[in-house]
Amino acid sequence: MRMRTRAAYGFLTPYLLIFAAFWVWPIVYSFYLSFLATRIQPWRFNPGMTWGRLVVDPAFANALKNTLIILVIQVPVMIALATLLAVLLNSQLLRARGIMRFAFFAPVVVGEAAYAAVFRLMFNADFGVVNKLITGIGLPRVDWFASPTAAMALIIMAVTWRWVGYNAIIILSGLQAIPNDVYEAATLDRVSKPRQFFFITLPLLKPIILFCVVLSVIGTMQLFAEPFLITNRGGPGGATETLGLFLYRQGFTVLNFGYASAVAYTIAALAIFISLVNLWIGRSPK
Amino acid sequence: MAGVTLRNVVKRFGSFEVIHGADLEVEDGEFVVFVGPSGCGKSTLLRMIAGLEDISDGEIAIGGTVVNDVEPADRGTAMVFQSYALYPHMTVEKNLSFGLRMNGNDKADTARRVERAAKILRIEELLDRRPGQLSGGQRQRVAIGRAIVRDPEVFLFDEPLSNLDAELRVQMRVEIARLHAELGVTMVYVTHDQVEAMTLADRIVVLRDGRIEQIGRPLDLYDDPANRFVAGFVGSPKMNFMAAEVVGAENGSVTVALTNQGGARLTVPAKNGFAAGDKLTVGLRPEHFGGAGEGDCELSVKVDVAEHLGSTSYVYANTASGEQLVIEREESRSEIGVEHLTVSIPAARTYLFDASGARLR
Ligand SMILES: Nc1ncnc2c1ncn2[C@@H]1O[C@H](COP(=O)(O)OP(=O)(O)O)[C@@H](O)[C@H]1O
Ligand SMILES: [Mg+2]
Repeated sequence: MRMRTRAAYGFLTPYLLIFAAFWVWPIVYSFYLSFLATRIQPWRFNPGMTWGRLVVDPAFANALKNTLIILVIQVPVMIALATLLAVLLNSQLLRARGIMRFAFFAPVVVGEAAYAAVFRLMFNADFGVVNKLITGIGLPRVDWFASPTAAMALIIMAVTWRWVGYNAIIILSGLQAIPNDVYEAATLDRVSKPRQFFFITLPLLKPIILFCVVLSVIGTMQLFAEPFLITNRGGPGGATETLGLFLYRQGFTVLNFGYASAVAYTIAALAIFISLVNLWIGRSPK
Repeated sequence: MAGVTLRNVVKRFGSFEVIHGADLEVEDGEFVVFVGPSGCGKSTLLRMIAGLEDISDGEIAIGGTVVNDVEPADRGTAMVFQSYALYPHMTVEKNLSFGLRMNGNDKADTARRVERAAKILRIEELLDRRPGQLSGGQRQRVAIGRAIVRDPEVFLFDEPLSNLDAELRVQMRVEIARLHAELGVTMVYVTHDQVEAMTLADRIVVLRDGRIEQIGRPLDLYDDPANRFVAGFVGSPKMNFMAAEVVGAENGSVTVALTNQGGARLTVPAKNGFAAGDKLTVGLRPEHFGGAGEGDCELSVKVDVAEHLGSTSYVYANTASGEQLVIEREESRSEIGVEHLTVSIPAARTYLFDASGARLR
């Protein structure tokens, strides 16, 4: 090894040691764990109790189904809203654009517990402001925490509210990178504003939107705080239990580390797989 | 086919007025160039014709129709932007046809128009590429092609060559001249480069600070500038300006002393109205200096730098007491290394300007 290279590795060693101890080792170790039956001491190699159980466990299937339902509805809705919001935030007509941008970004900064508490209050079946509004316009009261469908909708709304501004800001940066004279050229080409949006803005935003989709897929696959805090640990009766929550139960409540590890690997693999599918669908031609 | 008329056109951004009442008549089929220093309002004026900026005051007519309230796309104009403004995600073919396709133009007709534009601009083999895969010159051709496809009555160009390198600029300049000859349509062309203006224009409009300083054919502006600004702007290298003071005025001529040139005296034919002591500026183009003994007034100068280009040389010189002069000389190989030079000023070639820059005749 050259002297300089050796010196460089010398300086890197402390970091590499920490990286190995707290990053590489847990990942490798949990993969090893995922093949052990950990319900009873001593732990033994028995993938049937972990990977095998995944296939047959109805609770896991339920969590997977819930997560995918949330994913399939929440991600597209949120990205569409974020795009719309970005266009509004970019509009010359909007007053106080800086303040508005911060306002929509702010939910990301608010602590999860605080926001969950506010949502619980707002959606309270008896005195929540949402139900007051709904009954105010003559619709029947919704029992947000007792009805499985309503609880699911509530989770989707909460997650969307929290992350839509964050995504809008990312998309906004993409919008601002599109030069104005391209739109002027389109105006001279007699292309209406809505058509400019669909034929120029959207195609040019595609890479950024794809990036947001991938980020959101990864986030939603790990969804935990909202079902834990807002709908009472995945209630009613597991109707909003997500993979993240299921993992938490196995790891922290039941202390079944082997099974939890297998679940964690499954979540990661699914997130990567879905992201790759998205990237593949959104690949640019040629 | 259409001409363009500007009547007392004013543009304000908020309360900030940038065009202070422009009057102009562009003939059908004419090539008119707006020229002026950066920020003088050339683009703003062009964009008002295109309809991309609204008109604060006054009137613009295209082909005899006032277009103040006509949509940009309905004005019969096509614009070529400085930055090309191509649609980055579309192939060249799609870039050219986008406007037509969006407006439900007949497919066969669209294809025919694209093919014709591609042929005129020699970009047939680029049709499947995207703007990112093109060189600057090729992008410029596509941008012009997009204008041709619309079959406009008036072409508007906003500094179309300013992002190209020098060699390509000359080449594209020739192409644009050819295009004008081939299509025979009205063209309004904006540039800050007076060489482009001189070579392309039927008529030049010189702008300064939102005002039209002079309108005329290139050589008319060159030979007969209306004021000091136009005199200095048109021509390269620039006209020399020398401070002078009137020492005597006779009937039909005025004698001035060149203040910073050792008080050399020069008698110039001019109308009356001069009084001894008036401060003036004498202008003389670099190529109009004469050799020693040839003119009406001798100047002995110290050479700063001399650029020998073969057929001509530009001598950057100073008198001991004053202004820098640029002197163009023909055969001066033998003068390499010469430090002192005597030149002469032919009175008939000089221009007189008063302190405000207005031309005195
Ligand atoms: N959208 C705008 N808002 C405010 N001022 C502008 C705007 N566009 C141009 N200006 C001002 O108008 C003047 C002329 O600009 P422009 O027409 O672009 O000049 P040129 O093309 O001759 O360089 C400049 O002082 C510029 O700052
Ligand atoms: Mg400009």
